[in-house]
Amino acid sequence: MHALTDNALMLKVKSGDLQKMGLLYERHKKRLFGFFYNMNSNASLSEDLVQNVFVRMLKYKHTFTGEGSFAAWMFRTARNVNYDHYRKSKKSGQQHDLSSLEFKLTDEEDMNVKMDHNDSVNQLKRAMLQLPVEKREILMLSKYKGLKFSEIGDILGCSEGAAKVKAHRALNELRTVFLKMETI
Amino acid sequence: MEKEEFQIRIMDYLSGQMDEKQRAMFEKEIASDPECQKQFDAAQSTWKQLDNLERTIPEPSESMDTAFYGMLYDQVEAMESTSVSFLDQLLKLLQRLWKPQLAYGIILLGIGLVAGYLMNDQGNVEPANTTIVDSNETEEVREKLVLTLLDQPSANKRLQAVSEATKLNSATESIINALFTTLNNDPNINVRLAALESLTKYVEKPEVRMGFIQAISKQESPLVQIALADLMVRLQEKSSVDSMKQLLEKPGIDTTVKQKLEESINHII
Repeated sequence: MHALTDNALMLKVKSGDLQKMGLLYERHKKRLFGFFYNMNSNASLSEDLVQNVFVRMLKYKHTFTGEGSFAAWMFRTARNVNYDHYRKSKKSGQQHDLSSLEFKLTDEEDMNVKMDHNDSVNQLKRAMLQLPVEKREILMLSKYKGLKFSEIGDILGCSEGAAKVKAHRALNELRTVFLKMETI
Repeated sequence: MEKEEFQIRIMDYLSGQMDEKQRAMFEKEIASDPECQKQFDAAQSTWKQLDNLERTIPEPSESMDTAFYGMLYDQVEAMESTSVSFLDQLLKLLQRLWKPQLAYGIILLGIGLVAGYLMNDQGNVEPANTTIVDSNETEEVREKLVLTLLDQPSANKRLQAVSEATKLNSATESIINALFTTLNNDPNINVRLAALESLTKYVEKPEVRMGFIQAISKQESPLVQIALADLMVRLQEKSSVDSMKQLLEKPGIDTTVKQKLEESINHII
């Protein structure tokens, strides 16, 4: 059993057995994709970013010590990939403002999603995209990714308690934005 | 309840980190405070709404898998090829370095071996010769030194001569004679005793034993007399009895020596 834990697999990757990354990919691709999708509502961009996370994890495999959880390490990498992406796109002038531009759904898929779901979900989605990146991020990590708050604290570089307080504040802000949209 | 602590507990409740008992307690607590209840309800409803959002997440496309496995394959290939080419390069480098160096090494080793063998060969013969020559020369020099020193007026020098004589491997007749002369005539008792000591080395020679027997009666010093008597007992020299008896008859002989001589005669007989 031990040989199949995420940490054990990643340690094998670290020692040169790159093929084991395939297993980790299968286990975590949906979580990662969901994380990015909720961050940018762009499926193809999210797929690229998932790819980038795995490329980066391979590149920096030597930094994985096996002390913390693999998921925490992976999401830390994912966060960095996300920030780097936005920094780059800001530089190249493609996107000026994350929160105002990204909620425009560009993919065909996203269009379908939009049509399939009721208004309140779309409203929530837009509200979500108006939140600052850090707040969106902590909501994503705590709500969907099956991570413990101790791990989230690890990813964000803060204590478990601080992570909970941050999550609560993000939740509050989301509600405020959401309610504001309703009144418009 | 402090604000932050309350927020932490709300998050514990929502994220399912509380057990049944804790949940019930928390619910009861907030029910008693309308403000807290309001805050909690707001958070809970937004949290639940997020569930709907999760359902809007599409499935990642197959192209993501294709891209990932393509990337992984490339990485594996790259790693293998770098490790292989690195090995290759190392081997090539070694080969280039090795060829001339190995040849030089073998040549040098050969030269070293031959030179060492030749030098060692000469070394084996020469020092042996020199030591033989040396020891012969030393014997000669030592003999001359002994003879010269025995003639010195200083008792010290004569003692040195006797000790040099002891170092000789084989004594010539002249040395033995010189030593007997010292034993019989030297004015210093210590020198006479040393000469006696030195001569015991050659007791196998009959002339030395004869010399001793003759010396017994000539000795004046009780110490030398006793030493000679002891030596005779050790040698079991029967022909010395006469000389000892002769000595016993000498007037003014030391009583200790007398006793000793009598004992010795008894021992030998």
